[in-house]
Amino acid sequence: MEEPRRGLELERVTYRRGGLLLLDDQSVRVPAGGTLVVTGANGVGKSTLLHLCAGLLHAGSGRIMLHGHLVDPTLPSALMRCGVRRGVVFQQGGLVANLSALDNVALGLSYHADLLGLSDGIIDERSRFCLGAVGVESPDIHALPGRLSFGIRKRVAFARAMAIEPNFAFFDDPDAGLDRENAELVHDILVSYRDDPRVTMVVASNHRALLQRLALHPSELHEGRLARQDLYTMPRSSLV
Amino acid sequence: MDRVVFWSGAVDTLARAVAAPFTPGKAAAAVVRSVTFKQLFFTGVQGLPYVTVTALILGSTLMLQGHATAPGVPGEAVGQLLVAAVLRELAPLVTAMIVASRSGTAIATELGNMRAGLEDAGLRSLGVDPQRYMVQPRLVAMIVSVLVLTVYFAVLAVGGCLATAWLLGAPSPTAIQSGLALAINPSDLFLYLIKGTGCGVLIGWLCCHFGLQVTGSSTEVPLMTGKAVIASLLGCVVFNFAVTIGYYAWVSGSVG
Repeated sequence: MEEPRRGLELERVTYRRGGLLLLDDQSVRVPAGGTLVVTGANGVGKSTLLHLCAGLLHAGSGRIMLHGHLVDPTLPSALMRCGVRRGVVFQQGGLVANLSALDNVALGLSYHADLLGLSDGIIDERSRFCLGAVGVESPDIHALPGRLSFGIRKRVAFARAMAIEPNFAFFDDPDAGLDRENAELVHDILVSYRDDPRVTMVVASNHRALLQRLALHPSELHEGRLARQDLYTMPRSSLV
Repeated sequence: MDRVVFWSGAVDTLARAVAAPFTPGKAAAAVVRSVTFKQLFFTGVQGLPYVTVTALILGSTLMLQGHATAPGVPGEAVGQLLVAAVLRELAPLVTAMIVASRSGTAIATELGNMRAGLEDAGLRSLGVDPQRYMVQPRLVAMIVSVLVLTVYFAVLAVGGCLATAWLLGAPSPTAIQSGLALAINPSDLFLYLIKGTGCGVLIGWLCCHFGLQVTGSSTEVPLMTGKAVIASLLGCVVFNFAVTIGYYAWVSGSVG
C-alpha cells in the first residue's frame, strides 16, 4: 500500500503560555490533502494549536513539520521556498493595518513574485479576483482594514489566504461574526478545500452549522490533549 | 534573568535584521525597499521642519547667550567653540532626540500595534519574514535619516548663529567663519559618520525591539513605547559621550 504523502506533523509538542499548559505532549499527523477539525471549550487553546500547526508559534518542545519541512516561525520565507504555501484566517486581526484590502491580498504574492513567477499584472488580477470571490468589491478593496466592518475584514482575510493558492489552509473560527449569507459563502470555500486533495486543512470551530456542513468528525481539545490524534479525514477524490 | 532574556532577544533582533538583506528573494527585496522609502519619507523628509526650527533657534540662542555673557570674545574663538559644542556634540545629540521622540515613538507604537493585532502572525502566514519586513526597513531608514539630519542640523545651527551675530553686529560673521574653518578637520567627517550611524542604529533597533515585545494586548503599546524612547535617548547620550572620549583620545594621540 502506498504511503500517504507527508502533510502536517506535530511530534510530541508541548506548549505553555505563562503557567497554563495549552498543549501537552501531543502528536498529530494529517497526511497531505487531509482535514483536521478541532473543537473545544472557549480558552482551551484551539487557536494556539492552530497557530502551532501553521508554524506561527515556537513550540516549547517537540517538532512541527509541513510537507516534511521543519517550521521556523522566525524565517517563514524558507518554508515558501520549499513549496509550502500557507493560507491562514485568524479569528480576528491578522491583516496589515497600513495596507488597503487589495494590498493585503497582494502582499504575499508580491513578496514571492519571483518564486511564484507572477507579474504585477497577474498579481493585481488575482488579488481582485479573490476579493471578488468573497464579495468584497470597490470601494472597499481600496480601504484600510480599520475602515472596514468585521465581516468584510474577515472576507479580506479569506481572499488573502486563497490568493496564495495554499497547500496548507488553517481556519480559526472562520464563520464567527459573519451574517448567514457570508457564513454560507465561507462554508463553501471550506468544503472546496476539504475536497481538494492538494490542500491539507485544519479548522478550529465550535459552530454546529459549519461542522455539519463539513460533515467531518471533530477532535476535541481538552486540558492540552486532543481526544483523538488520528481523527483526520481524507478527501473522497483521493480515496477513489 | 528577565533582563538577560530581554537583551539577548534584542541582540537577536538586530542580528536578524542585519542578516535579512542576505535572505534570498529579489521580489521580497523590492517590497522591503518600498517600505524603506516610506519610512525614509516619514523619518527624514517629514522630520525636516522640526529639525530646521530647532537648529535655527538653538544656534541663535547660543549666539545670544555668548554675546550677553562674554561680549568681548573674538569671532575666531566663537567659531572654534561652535565646532566643538554645536557641530561635534549638540548636532548629533539633539537630532537623535528629535528623531527618537518623533519617529522612534511612531515605530515602537506601530510595531506594538502590529503585534497586538496579530499582523506579524499574518505576515508569517504569507511567508513574509517579519524581521525583513518590519525591522530592516525601519533600521535602514533610521540610520540614513539620522546621518543626513545631523549634517542638516549642524549647517542650520551655524547659520542661525551667524545670522544672529550679523543682527547683533558683533562678533563679525567673517571672523566666526575663520574660526570654524580653523577648527574643523577631516576627522570630523568620521565623527559624524560614527555618531550618526550609531544613534540611528540605537534608535531604530531599540524602538523596533521594544515594539516587538508587545505580547497581545494593546494596553502594552504605550508602556513599551515609553520604554523604547527612554532607552534610545539614554543609549544615544552614553554613545555620544563614549565616541567623544574616543575621538579626543585619538586626535590627541595622532597629534602627539
